[in-house]
Amino acid sequence: MRMPKWKGKFMIVEAKRLGISIAGKSIVSSVDLHIGDGERVGLIGSSGSGKSMISKAMLGLLPTNATAEGSVMLGDTQVIGADETVLASLRGRYVGAVFQNPASSLNPVLIVGKQVELPLKLHYDLDKADRQKRVIAMLEKVGLDEATANKYPSELSGGQQQRVGIATALITSPRLIIADEPTTALDSITQRQIVDLLVTLVDKAGASMLFITHDFSVLARATTRCYVLDDGQVIESGDTADLLDNPQNAQTKKLVGAARELTLQRKQDCDD
Amino acid sequence: MTKSKSSSKFSIVLRLIWRRGEGKFALIVLASWVVVSLVSLVWTPQSLWATDGYHVWAKPSVAHWLGTDGTGADVFSWLMAGARTNLFIAILAVVFAGALGILLMSAMVSRNSALSNVSVVAVDALISIPTVLIALILAVPMGASVAVVIIACGIGYGLNLARIARPQALLAANSDYVGSALSYGASGFSVMLHHILPNAMPTIMVQLSLSAGTAVLAESGLTYLGFGVPSGVPSWGHSLATSVKFINVYPLTVLWPGLIVTIVVVALNVFGDVLRDAIDPVTNPELRRS
Amino acid sequence: MRFVIRRFLLFVVALLAISVVIFAALRILPGDVASVMAGLNAPPERVAQLRSQMGLDRPLVVQYFSWLGGLLQGNFGTSLLTGRSISSTVAMRASVTFPLIVLGLIVALAIGLTLGVVSTLATRPAVRSAFHFIAIVGGAIPALWGGLLLILLFGRGTGLLDVLPSQGFPEAGWGNFGSALASLVLPALTVGIIDGASLMRYTRSALGDVMNSGYMDQAMACGYTRRQAALKVGLRLATPQLVSVVGLMSAGMITGVMVIENLFALPGIGAGLVTDLGNRDLIAVQSELFMLAAFFLFVGFLVDLLHRFLDPRLKHAVQGGVQ
Repeated sequence: MRMPKWKGKFMIVEAKRLGISIAGKSIVSSVDLHIGDGERVGLIGSSGSGKSMISKAMLGLLPTNATAEGSVMLGDTQVIGADETVLASLRGRYVGAVFQNPASSLNPVLIVGKQVELPLKLHYDLDKADRQKRVIAMLEKVGLDEATANKYPSELSGGQQQRVGIATALITSPRLIIADEPTTALDSITQRQIVDLLVTLVDKAGASMLFITHDFSVLARATTRCYVLDDGQVIESGDTADLLDNPQNAQTKKLVGAARELTLQRKQDCDD
Repeated sequence: MTKSKSSSKFSIVLRLIWRRGEGKFALIVLASWVVVSLVSLVWTPQSLWATDGYHVWAKPSVAHWLGTDGTGADVFSWLMAGARTNLFIAILAVVFAGALGILLMSAMVSRNSALSNVSVVAVDALISIPTVLIALILAVPMGASVAVVIIACGIGYGLNLARIARPQALLAANSDYVGSALSYGASGFSVMLHHILPNAMPTIMVQLSLSAGTAVLAESGLTYLGFGVPSGVPSWGHSLATSVKFINVYPLTVLWPGLIVTIVVVALNVFGDVLRDAIDPVTNPELRRS
Repeated sequence: MRFVIRRFLLFVVALLAISVVIFAALRILPGDVASVMAGLNAPPERVAQLRSQMGLDRPLVVQYFSWLGGLLQGNFGTSLLTGRSISSTVAMRASVTFPLIVLGLIVALAIGLTLGVVSTLATRPAVRSAFHFIAIVGGAIPALWGGLLLILLFGRGTGLLDVLPSQGFPEAGWGNFGSALASLVLPALTVGIIDGASLMRYTRSALGDVMNSGYMDQAMACGYTRRQAALKVGLRLATPQLVSVVGLMSAGMITGVMVIENLFALPGIGAGLVTDLGNRDLIAVQSELFMLAAFFLFVGFLVDLLHRFLDPRLKHAVQGGVQ
């Protein structure tokens, strides 16, 4: 078994004819996806369109009753059908993940410091003091003070919790960040702060990102290029700004139209 | 109209249970239990009291299908008759536990905070008192009796039920639809009956079916200890207990009552598991249609 | 800390309540305690003598408080049959019962946790259903019957393998450590196997819930394999729930333990209680029931504290609820 070793600066992601089914029922079919050098790519679709399953397939986190076919290359490692130890050696080192709801993904019985430290501990041979130093520095980068390291997640606000999630994903400077609806569980002001933080940190680290969302305004803020997913298939892709201004596919038009109406409505409500 | 609706729901659930292998096993065992209990009221192969001093510890034969015990009584007939006592105990224990559990659960989610606090505290404290201790306390004034088993199981499993069903009931009690029902002037009782209870019902039914199995097990233990079913009344615990004394000499007679209890308890547990899946409207679209 | 105090007060209140119930259960006997203890054909003088000897001619409230006062001072009364102090009898019996419960728990934990974890991690459907079968059948065996089967298999004199003692406890008690331990092996296995089967089901459902949660995805995203995540994070997260289950189980074990003590002729608390009840030694029964109830209530108290300690979410639930 060959463990992936990634020397290059970027990790190009190439999904070809990716299909996922759960208990015999097809969830995602024949999806092609490309994430290039340092690119921030969006994956948007309504709930149930299969976008979360795509991110889980990339991380090798599909539920045990799911099967995947086709190919997903992260750098030069084939993820589909890969051995669990190969996947584990990718996760937390070359690929970081930020999940939707930090309250139900951060380990509730572990203090924040240990939480953020975990990927370092699993993948690098550093002494404790060194790890501690890096954890504090990382917490600072995401806007949390040193004292946070000794707190439990349940002592933090939703926005602070998601900052911990981002710190954990970025502590090892991975080449790719997969963010699966990282702002959905947050209020709209915190949403914007978290997206901006994520974008800044990913760009500064020179990593690439797959950003999954169902919210077009978040999509526009976080990504430069995007794929629109509907019913398990990619129905449209392209430059995010262009696509939002001028959607081609009828279904996309409907989605964008609805989102725009909602945004206008919200703006009006605020102006009143 | 409501009646036909609920009966059709009942038949759908039965069909869903029957569709699975384990479900078939559970339904067949439980149906046989009921049938044998009823038949034993009018007929057993041999009279229970026909003891035959010349044929004690007889091997299985045409007359005595599972042989005879130390008094020459027919083992098979006693097991048949035992079925009805155990069925009676299981049903009454479950009814008692269900009533007590629902009452306590209602108190625990009541809007009267004094009532809900006291009941939560009481259940939390009493839950660690095991059934056998309740039975012992009852047995002091009552002696060995079927009632001791029923009441002890009823109290023990009722407390357990209240604790297990509470989260579901609490979820419903704090929901918007209960809030709006109350704002329209619905009484606490009607909200409990129409909104909270239906939400907790699946959990309650599954738990009660598991409790029925535990009641069968409890009967055999309590009867053996001497404060369950009194001697002379047929029950599986009684059959098991009488054969224990002679285990060194006739080990095989002890096989049957234990085997029957194990099979019936397995069936009740499996029934509970399959029932859990069958009454879940999320996985069974048929239930939503009706 | 406030939680600990509140929970302790609850323990005390429940203890008082149970003492009233036990006291009342003995007073609603047909006739009174004295006539029951004296036996059916006892002359009235004997009954009257017993009554004044035990202070039963005093008002009920006085009787209750003098009993309770005695309990608080560690004076559990004197058995009328043996003339020995009840506390020393109970202490002797407890030296059989508690080791039995502890050994039974060890067996149950070893079986239940191991098989529960293995069956949660098993991916092949056939393996999963095989484990499911073991759990369901194991939990459905009556303790009495399970004990009998083990005696038939391993019991000295009767068993097929003829290796372990199946009756009695050495006279010297734990002074004869080897044979004392040996005489508890089959009883502990009986209790442990049956409770291990139900613990296996609980472990599987508790760990299974955690395995499907976001906590596992997060742990694996940091670089754990599925198995490592289950063992290092999953088990820890399932622990508070399992502690509650094991606590209640160790209390519930007494049912099986009483049966098993009688079956294996062990002079423990359960068997002793049954004997005292049979002998109508009601003063002893009253105090023994109270001690057992106190023990179980105390276990419940400890379990709640431990549960709280193991899950920091509960501590912060109140503050955390703001946002």
